[in-house]
Amino acid sequence: MKKHTKGKMNHNHEQTPEEQEINMWKKKLVWAWVITIPLIIVMYILPLFDVMIEEEIMRFIILFLSFPVVFITGFSTLKSGFKGFVSFYFNMDSLIGLGTVIAWLTGVLVFFMEIENYAGIAGMIMAIFITGKFIESKARGRAGAEIRKLLELGAKQARIEKNGKEIMVDISEIKVGDVIIIKPGEKIPTDGIIVKGESSVDESMISGESLPVDKLKGSSVIGATINQDGVLYVKATKVGGDTFLSHIIQLVEEAQGTKVPIQKLADKITSIFVPAILFITIVTFAVWMYFSGDLSLALAAAIAVLVISCPCALGLATPIALTVGSGIGAKKGILIRKGEAIQTMKDVKVVVFDKTGTITKGKPEVTDVSTGKNSEKEILLLAGSLESLSEHPLAKAIVKYCEEKNHNKFMKVTKFSALRGRGVEGYVGKDRIVIGNRRLMNEEKISLKDFEKDISKYESEGKTTMIVSKNKKVIGVLAVADAIKEDSRKALAMLHKAGYKTVMITGDNEPTAKAIAQQVGIKMVIANVLPEDKSNEVKKLQNKYGFVAFAGDGINDAPALKQANVGIAMGTGTDIAIEAGDIVLTTGSLVAVTQSINLSKATFKKIKQNLFWAFAYNTIAIPLAIMGLLHPVIAEIAMAASSITVVTNANLLRRKRIG
Amino acid sequence: MKKIKLTVEGMHCASCAGNIERSLKKIPGLKDARVSMMTRKAIVEADDNVSEEEMKKAVARAGYKVSKIEN
Repeated sequence: MKKHTKGKMNHNHEQTPEEQEINMWKKKLVWAWVITIPLIIVMYILPLFDVMIEEEIMRFIILFLSFPVVFITGFSTLKSGFKGFVSFYFNMDSLIGLGTVIAWLTGVLVFFMEIENYAGIAGMIMAIFITGKFIESKARGRAGAEIRKLLELGAKQARIEKNGKEIMVDISEIKVGDVIIIKPGEKIPTDGIIVKGESSVDESMISGESLPVDKLKGSSVIGATINQDGVLYVKATKVGGDTFLSHIIQLVEEAQGTKVPIQKLADKITSIFVPAILFITIVTFAVWMYFSGDLSLALAAAIAVLVISCPCALGLATPIALTVGSGIGAKKGILIRKGEAIQTMKDVKVVVFDKTGTITKGKPEVTDVSTGKNSEKEILLLAGSLESLSEHPLAKAIVKYCEEKNHNKFMKVTKFSALRGRGVEGYVGKDRIVIGNRRLMNEEKISLKDFEKDISKYESEGKTTMIVSKNKKVIGVLAVADAIKEDSRKALAMLHKAGYKTVMITGDNEPTAKAIAQQVGIKMVIANVLPEDKSNEVKKLQNKYGFVAFAGDGINDAPALKQANVGIAMGTGTDIAIEAGDIVLTTGSLVAVTQSINLSKATFKKIKQNLFWAFAYNTIAIPLAIMGLLHPVIAEIAMAASSITVVTNANLLRRKRIG
Repeated sequence: MKKIKLTVEGMHCASCAGNIERSLKKIPGLKDARVSMMTRKAIVEADDNVSEEEMKKAVARAGYKVSKIEN
């Protein structure tokens, strides 16, 4: 199936801006060296073999050969650099441009005065600069590869039926409600619902989940995923900027521009770097002139300062690591929304998990009904009648169960109200019906004595009990269980091994919660928490233990996600609550939580390493250049190496296993 | 308030992103500008009365070119 993933629909491959940039540097690189190599031979190799060229002729040869390197292959660099002098928006081209032009001009001056000829060196500097840029742009292209893949994931065309014929149309022509036909091996063009056909769909590009997912009539599909083996007829439900993929792309693009706090100093330095270096260059030149009186020495030092200084290593240190990190994450369904989260994550001590939908599947089912001496039919009919008015997942489970048992002739309910975190109440005829948890029964002062044994038993099994009461008397109990996700245990074991304290938070009562927690290996449980109190509980944990990460479903848990130092919003299918989390997971997998923690830490470590190298390089190299200890060509090689090192080091992040 | 995404051409070094941010932020009514050299995009938040033309001009002033504007 792999061969299909390239997308049949996109035959004519256009060059991406990255490829264009790489190719541009490549072309310049070839020309620069075609001329620079003879230059080096004339200047350094021939004298070794005692081939002596007359001084006058030599000057002309050097000037003639270095001119095209500096002024033709270097044209765009010079142009952009000197524009900086006019507009006062300096960039690194300003430094290289000034350095090479001054060096080249000495080749002209040498005809008129006593001066060392640096024109040949100007050519070499430009050639090395171009080489460095070429290598850097390639490495940068690799760093952004995953993210770019994501951006280019969308299908360009879709197949529809028109006048009895199947035709391909541009994706922009598809409107909500259109039916699209997708053949095996093709990309599903947009989000929709299957109206005909069945197939398995490879959703790995969106969720990181490697196994294909079976889809039937009525299943929803996500644009950019790959249809595997059946023909699907899909009715488009979302198009253009509203699709799941568009949302993810937007999120990733925005994240690229967010700042990691540690970067602040580097950014500040980068922003004043070029003007500062220009100033230092002038001072270096002046001081050398004053003390040595030797124009050639002063120029060599000044040129070395100009060409060794490059803000790139500093400025790229963080963004490049963030790009590689978020690219690795995106491939696994981990979307880093805020760069800050990467830095905060290293200080996190406690990871809090919401129970329902995070540790468990969030799809509760009725497992037991305890009736005492009453009729099951009455209990189910009353429960179903009230719960059918509620949107709560537990309510839905009960209604579903009633329907399965064919007790679905629900009665009219008056004065219904849902009691948040506790249950529901209402009247059926003249009877007051209250259904809910232990807490609600206590509030209502309803005795549980006849059912206490069953309730305790269900709770000890980790099930949620829904107690049905009629006119202040319990008539039955429904036990609802929410299965634990397959990988929850594994994910938590990984966290425990890494030394994190884990906490489970839930609205369930203590025995139920403890039973679930025990199954996955969590020791600390905060039970009986109303949804609106979750953020308060997070605050308490922060006061006690320090930095807290919270993993929850983004919709009900938004305040807790915000309160936590790092909020990890779990996705459920196509609905991801983008706004709520610092990190958003497209999958519901708990392993992704662990991975996102590991990835954040690994990425931050790379950022720190990069910043260290960038600062170390600049603080050592610039003073050496000022002291005149570096030959300008060596200086230029060092400069090119510095930014290549940073980008390459960031690419090494790929080797890191994040679990 | 509106949020606009600009695709910028010609960014080739780290100080470029900073230059564009600095130039954009000089526009009165422009609240935030975040430029990424990696995605070649500038994400700009501005008051509704700030025109796209002004943003283009600001990017040009720093020596770069806007190739695409998205809302």
